[in-house]
Amino acid sequence: MLYSSLLFIYGFFPAALIIYYITPGKFKNIVLLLESMVFCGAFGLKYLGFVMIFITVNYAAARLIYSLNGRNSPMRRIPFAAAIIFDVLSLFFFRSDILNFLSLKMTENFYAVGISLYTLSAIGYLLDVYTGKIRADVNFIRFALFVMMFPRLIMGPVVSYDYFVRILKNRRITMNGLGNGVTLFIKGLSKKIIIADSLYMLYSAVKSIGADNIAAISAWLGIIAYILCLYFTLCGFSEMGLGIAACFGLKFPNSFNHPILSSRIRYFCSRWNIQIVQWFRRYVISPLFKLTDNKLAGRLGVVMLWTFIGFWYGFNFSGALWGILMSAAILLENKIQKLKMLKSTGIIYTFVVTTILAVLISNDSISDSVHYLFAMLGGTGMIVDRLTMYFLRSYVIVLIIAIYASTDLFGNMIARITRTRFRLAVSICAPVVMMALFMICTALISYSGRSEMILVRL
Amino acid sequence: MKFSNKVTAAAVLVFISVFSISTFFSSHNKAADVRSSARLPRMSWSSLSDGSYFSSLSEYTAKKFSGRGDWIAAGALIKTEMCESVVNGVYISQERLLSAEIPSYGSFEENAALINNFAEKYDGAVYAAAIPTSAGVYGDILPSYLQQVTEKQQIDRFYDLLDTDIRRIDAYSILKTLSDNYIYYRSDSKWTSYGAYCVYRTVIQKLGFLPASYDKYTVHHITDNYKGDLYKRSQYMESNSDLLDIYEYSGGAEITGCTAYDNAGKCYEWELYDIDAAGSDDKYRLYLGEKMPFVKITANVNNEKRLLVIGDDFAACFIPFLTQHYSEIVFVSPECMELRLKDHIDIRDYEQTLFLFGIDSLSSKIKEF
Repeated sequence: MLYSSLLFIYGFFPAALIIYYITPGKFKNIVLLLESMVFCGAFGLKYLGFVMIFITVNYAAARLIYSLNGRNSPMRRIPFAAAIIFDVLSLFFFRSDILNFLSLKMTENFYAVGISLYTLSAIGYLLDVYTGKIRADVNFIRFALFVMMFPRLIMGPVVSYDYFVRILKNRRITMNGLGNGVTLFIKGLSKKIIIADSLYMLYSAVKSIGADNIAAISAWLGIIAYILCLYFTLCGFSEMGLGIAACFGLKFPNSFNHPILSSRIRYFCSRWNIQIVQWFRRYVISPLFKLTDNKLAGRLGVVMLWTFIGFWYGFNFSGALWGILMSAAILLENKIQKLKMLKSTGIIYTFVVTTILAVLISNDSISDSVHYLFAMLGGTGMIVDRLTMYFLRSYVIVLIIAIYASTDLFGNMIARITRTRFRLAVSICAPVVMMALFMICTALISYSGRSEMILVRL
Repeated sequence: MKFSNKVTAAAVLVFISVFSISTFFSSHNKAADVRSSARLPRMSWSSLSDGSYFSSLSEYTAKKFSGRGDWIAAGALIKTEMCESVVNGVYISQERLLSAEIPSYGSFEENAALINNFAEKYDGAVYAAAIPTSAGVYGDILPSYLQQVTEKQQIDRFYDLLDTDIRRIDAYSILKTLSDNYIYYRSDSKWTSYGAYCVYRTVIQKLGFLPASYDKYTVHHITDNYKGDLYKRSQYMESNSDLLDIYEYSGGAEITGCTAYDNAGKCYEWELYDIDAAGSDDKYRLYLGEKMPFVKITANVNNEKRLLVIGDDFAACFIPFLTQHYSEIVFVSPECMELRLKDHIDIRDYEQTLFLFGIDSLSSKIKEF
């Protein structure tokens, strides 16, 4: 039961919201946890069981580390190391191909949704407790919510525990907040269903031809569709989650800030999945390089940061290579940043570089990626064919919508409106537009009842 | 923006509430489905444990969703306005709708084994006809990425898996050469009665009879408003309606009895053509009525020949042509059967058996019979 399903939108979500609203304030966390358990349980009781074990292990380890911290005992390393190993192994177990290799009967049709995100949350929490930055929370319900709260489960955001607790404490349930939440949810839903799903069709059509038979323009269309689809899927789920949380009175930070048409590669990197980049910087790179001001070490830090992020995305060598090449592009760009460049030139080169590198994460192996890159350069001897024309004819509108929606042009235009008359017009039009988008999304998923076309399972 | 936020929240929540409540209390909208009904999934420990219960519940919600047909039609309109030509797995062209879903054909081995096992235990002659869908015959209309493996190749592969003593019927070549005729519905993946007749001419010769010539038949147009499974999937409003015909053989053998049996063995008076179905949501029921596991047809043909037909929807429209040649035909639909074939009939009573399935049905596992 993903957020983009009729069962969630017209069943679980309104029921969860009503129960939450009628529950007195001091019981709201318990209700939210119970609702999250039902949400997890919808993916299977096995999954719910796993999440509960995951939470219990991390909660117990953090409590133990904290109690040993007080006595300055070196023994605290044991529960710390054990819990970290448990978390990392859980992540590897579900994200790598070990499951397929083992073909365990028990794990058939079973994927731990959101494991990549809540594992990072839990490791961050353990590190903060271990280093004494925060106290291990006694409140099991609050900690369980930190891991499995359903608006955060699928796409985060990954935030530190103290920040999460502050959000819980600053909970404000207002009609305006509910409106903000609903608006954000519809924006995310539209990104996923109207844009990402159509782009997925284009990408999968191109992919099905095979790199050896594909015309160069088709190959470019395919990979552009891939990166836009990846962005709109991740950003869509993220915004849906944030919107749902806002309806429950909880305000989480946004994970994406229009990275696609950035004018520099480093801007792209700093706007893409912001909390994940911050997490790796805070918990992995900074502790490793905090004692040195050496420039070379700084560069190595950038390479390591993006290698980890790339590996985290793909859980394969291609993902790590993508990270290495992204970091190389950032470092190269830093070298030439004094060169004067038009903003439009910057946008084009950033888009071309990020699109070409996306070939690495879109293919299963390096050799497939090389074949695909070869096709993009016209290596198959075809630049345009009948299929290219078909793809252009069928998907040009959605590509234009996607490129426009990936920018902040519309938001900026609305923000710049100062005249009262226009602002009033926007206020009147906004609910109509939101309702229209919501109805379009409902229409587009009405046949299958859900939109589950996903490029990466996090 | 506070005002517009509040209005948005109120409007969306009212909208959600109205559709949630109306879906909860609505009856299943059969018109918008492909001859399948929505049943509330049964809760069990294993289905809850592996998450399949909520997947089924999600499908159930979609099928029961209030105004489903209109929503799907709106979705198709949006997609086509955005210039997309594939809607809910249906390719929309000017002439016709075609299935754009590429089946995995992963069950060929199991299905072929099922037929081979039957043939091994059976003394009579076994015939197999794998019928292409409209996408197989009119595949040239589809963009090439949807036609990388043609149905012709898949039919050949399936035939290769059958034992050598099973006689194969090359329906694909017959239909392909006649593709300029009205042999497939424009809004359905199945053949028309005329398409079935064209294949019947060859099949019946293989079965040892001379075919009835076309001019002996009187063709009755029962409805010109048939919208088939591809329409129901896409709800593409501009698709052309189809004709549903029945072929009456003037002066030929008469049907002396038609009986259907359900899984409990209960017997029903049946009709070769259910004319009332032409006015219902499921117009294809015109051929052999509502799906039943077992239908027995007897005719006043003086040859004591008996034929067993095991098949799917393609066979339902084909069987009326065979009634001119056999005193008894039994049609078995494995899809509906809960019991085994031996619980209904003794296969030794039938000298010939014809397996007639659409290639799309053969791509998924056929229930053991």
